[in-house]
Amino acid sequence: MDNDTRENLTKIEPVPAAAGGGLTIPVGGMSCAACAQRVERAIRKLDGVASASVNYATEKATVIYDPSKVRAAAIKAAIEKAGYKALSNTGIGAADEDRARKQKEIRVMWTKFIISAVFSLPLLYIARAPMITFVRLPFPALLDPMRYPLIYGLAELALVLPVIGVGYKFYTVGFTALWRRAPNMDSLIAIGTTSAVVYSVYNIFQIATGGFMAVDFLYFETAGVIITLILLGKSLEAVSKGRTNEAIKKLMGLAPKTATIIVDGEEKEIPIDDVEIGDIVAVRPGGKIPVDGVVLAGHTAIDESMLTGESMPVDKTEGSKVYAATINTTGAVRFKAEKIGADTALARIIQLVEDAQGSKAPIAALADKVSGVFVPIVCAIAAAAGIAWFIGTRDLSFALTIFISVLVIACPCALGLATPTAIMVGTGKGAENGILIKGGEALETAHKVNIIVFDKTGTITEGKPSVTDVLPAAAMPADSLLRLTASAENASEHPLGQAIVLGARAKGLELLPATDFVSITGRGIEARIDGRGVLAGNRQLMDERGISLGSLAADSDRLSGEGKTPMYVAVDGALAGIVAVADVMKPSSRAAIESLHKMGVEVAMITGDNQKTADWVARQVGIDRVLAEVLPGDKSSEVRKLQAEGNKVAMVGDGINDAPALAQADIGVAIGSGTDVAMESADIVLMRSDLMDVPTALQLSKRTIRNIKQNLFWAFGYNTIGIPLAAGVLYLLGGPLLNPIFAAAAMSLSSVSVLTNALRLKRFKPSR
Amino acid sequence: MIKLPRPLLPLALGALLTLALTSCSSLVQRLDVIGAGSAASFDAALRAAPENVAPDERHGGWSLSAPDGSARFIWSEDYSKSPLYDVMLEFDAAPFLDAGLDPDKLPAGVVYSDGKLITGTKLGDIEPRYQGEATPLSSYEQIVRLYGGAVGYHAALDHYGVSLGGGNLFEWAKDLSANDKDIVFALAPEPWIAAGVDPSAVAGWTLAQVTVHANGKPAEVDKLLKPFDLA
Repeated sequence: MDNDTRENLTKIEPVPAAAGGGLTIPVGGMSCAACAQRVERAIRKLDGVASASVNYATEKATVIYDPSKVRAAAIKAAIEKAGYKALSNTGIGAADEDRARKQKEIRVMWTKFIISAVFSLPLLYIARAPMITFVRLPFPALLDPMRYPLIYGLAELALVLPVIGVGYKFYTVGFTALWRRAPNMDSLIAIGTTSAVVYSVYNIFQIATGGFMAVDFLYFETAGVIITLILLGKSLEAVSKGRTNEAIKKLMGLAPKTATIIVDGEEKEIPIDDVEIGDIVAVRPGGKIPVDGVVLAGHTAIDESMLTGESMPVDKTEGSKVYAATINTTGAVRFKAEKIGADTALARIIQLVEDAQGSKAPIAALADKVSGVFVPIVCAIAAAAGIAWFIGTRDLSFALTIFISVLVIACPCALGLATPTAIMVGTGKGAENGILIKGGEALETAHKVNIIVFDKTGTITEGKPSVTDVLPAAAMPADSLLRLTASAENASEHPLGQAIVLGARAKGLELLPATDFVSITGRGIEARIDGRGVLAGNRQLMDERGISLGSLAADSDRLSGEGKTPMYVAVDGALAGIVAVADVMKPSSRAAIESLHKMGVEVAMITGDNQKTADWVARQVGIDRVLAEVLPGDKSSEVRKLQAEGNKVAMVGDGINDAPALAQADIGVAIGSGTDVAMESADIVLMRSDLMDVPTALQLSKRTIRNIKQNLFWAFGYNTIGIPLAAGVLYLLGGPLLNPIFAAAAMSLSSVSVLTNALRLKRFKPSR
Repeated sequence: MIKLPRPLLPLALGALLTLALTSCSSLVQRLDVIGAGSAASFDAALRAAPENVAPDERHGGWSLSAPDGSARFIWSEDYSKSPLYDVMLEFDAAPFLDAGLDPDKLPAGVVYSDGKLITGTKLGDIEPRYQGEATPLSSYEQIVRLYGGAVGYHAALDHYGVSLGGGNLFEWAKDLSANDKDIVFALAPEPWIAAGVDPSAVAGWTLAQVTVHANGKPAEVDKLLKPFDLA
């Protein structure tokens, strides 16, 4: 990891939940997208709430509100009043609790499913085995429906009661919602299964009073199996939901639970929450850095791959920054705690990813709207279909079958899961690859981008000068020239001088001691080395000292044309050569731009450099369009011009002067070497300085949106096909009739299939 | 260990209790609505034609004769001692012989005796325990109690019936006042056809399609029927 990326770790700021007051509240008890809609409406009704977004997949409400008008407690009360649970939420600790709560939920759900299945399977067997003709299944004579119909009916009732007990929440939540005239998925299940059970109990009374053939109209197994299948679907859904959020879990799991601090010269292990800013923390080799801080003593290499994706451990010495959750590999270090709790880089990354996962993409709006009105419409369709069939057939049992099937098959949970689950997996996958996508909207917009504008300095180029050419004037070897120049520049603080020193060191050249060092402002430097006078600086300095460029004049012009800065070096009054310094291309720039071209994206470069220099840089990396000589303040207007041409524009930059352009662009991408302002203005933050992450981000966006569209297609398609099928349209035309049990199975499978499809995104691998 | 959700526990226990109780024989008898209903209506049938009810010493039981005497339903008093069958039909052989029955090819289980054909089944060998004197009704009630599987309900005709094996039945109306076929002797025609009988030519018997309930679904089957109105 380079220094820029390390710097970036300190600059990640959480996406604020609100400008005024922001709150993310975990919400319990939601059973479908319609519930999320209801919670949203309940919160929005409060005076002082600017916006509320409830994500069914993450089970969280994100509320932006004015704290002077409404308190958080009132928001929670509104959630409770709507029939749901407002759960506590603060920091990583709460995230752990949230995880534990969800794990418990999964366990309870599986337990319920198992108990339900234990009773439903014999119930189904009793109900269906007598009808199986091709094989004689063992069947207790005492339960022969034709001989002991009352015992048969009571046995079914006895078996369905525990299933109803297990699924009691469907009834409490469903009927409560119905009572509040806001039916949800549970209402559909509650109405459907209650109809089946009530009608069956009525038929038991019929049997008891001599109407033995009412035994043919028992639907206990329908109710039992529907509840069991839906519990199975819910269990799988809970597991899948948990898996969609594995990226966050992985991040949270990185944080150590304890820290060793130095108290009165002694090491003392304390809980991570007890570490305070200013504490001296000791970490042994192999240990995890518990909080962010600055190294005071020791030398080590730290594996920061879990935060940045960079696989090489980074050397740390006195003054280096260290980050929570990274792993100390080689030496023992002591550092001063600077950022703790929610302020650590890790906590901020988690917050950013969580906020992104809780956000909604515009594509979700349609699904939300449909989910909100879906349940009442389905109730109406079920009732209409049931009544129509009863009028047409005078068969109450048949009409009831239709009624139950429509109610059960039409649950909109697949619709509610289609978008958020894909966004959760997509943004989580991005985080795993060092790409922080700040929300669903960014994810959605990114896939539409057709032109990407790169800032030049620090984005396409390294942003730091380095030695590119060493041209000796006479017989002096190039390395000798570089060594001599670097030795003279060693005392200089000028970036170009430092670049030459670094260049010499990179070549392993040992610097010579310099004396009589003089910095000539705006010109260069002068020093004595081994008794020789060395002059290094610009052309003006050479001209002033009357030193001729001789045969190197042409080279000098060529280097300038390539955007390089020639540094002239004279020894004892004669030109010894030129050392050229330039801001070099990042190794990944060309490959990244090629990759974008393959994706059909036009690539532009924006720079303040003159056209000639900009064109040369553009040619080196394959840029299509060059926007040169653009003043820093005009970058955003250039982006606006591109947008006016009908383009969806992404702007990639790092500097503070890029922030307006990042904000103006449809998608702002801040790369690893960015500033705080650039990070906040950006929609996507690349943790590393690797430009290949830009095409990766676009690929991820395209894959996620494609996944969402697939999910929506199946969810909408499923209901579009399922409802008429359940309503008996095919049966009317001589086709099959959908049994309510199959309706329940199909409904459960639809949610699971949508989740499974979203989980396919976990296999995403950047194509490089 | 799996912890049961609180509301489930009483329901689960209740269910198990209910299942356990349904296994209790006395409760089974109380819940056997078809058995109890069949006994009540059989009693009504016996009372409707007391002159047709008689002890049958030959078979160790009782008989209910058709008003024209052409057929009898016979049921045993002590199923552990029945010499031939526990429940049986006895009917005139002549119409079957006239319709082509080959006396040497009698269907399996059919006995020819004194111009009569007898078909029936053994229900078991449990010795019934009577409280007091055995009566035609109490002997029938022993069938319900000990061999309840032989008793059934025929929805299409609103009849109760006793299975005599091989698809043969004796049925009586659940409500004699509302039914014009108070008792019905029913034979499966297939064995008789195999024995040379033209089922449509058996005098006094009608070949008809009857709706029965098999495997939870209604099904049409052929039966040779001899119905009577006792009222």
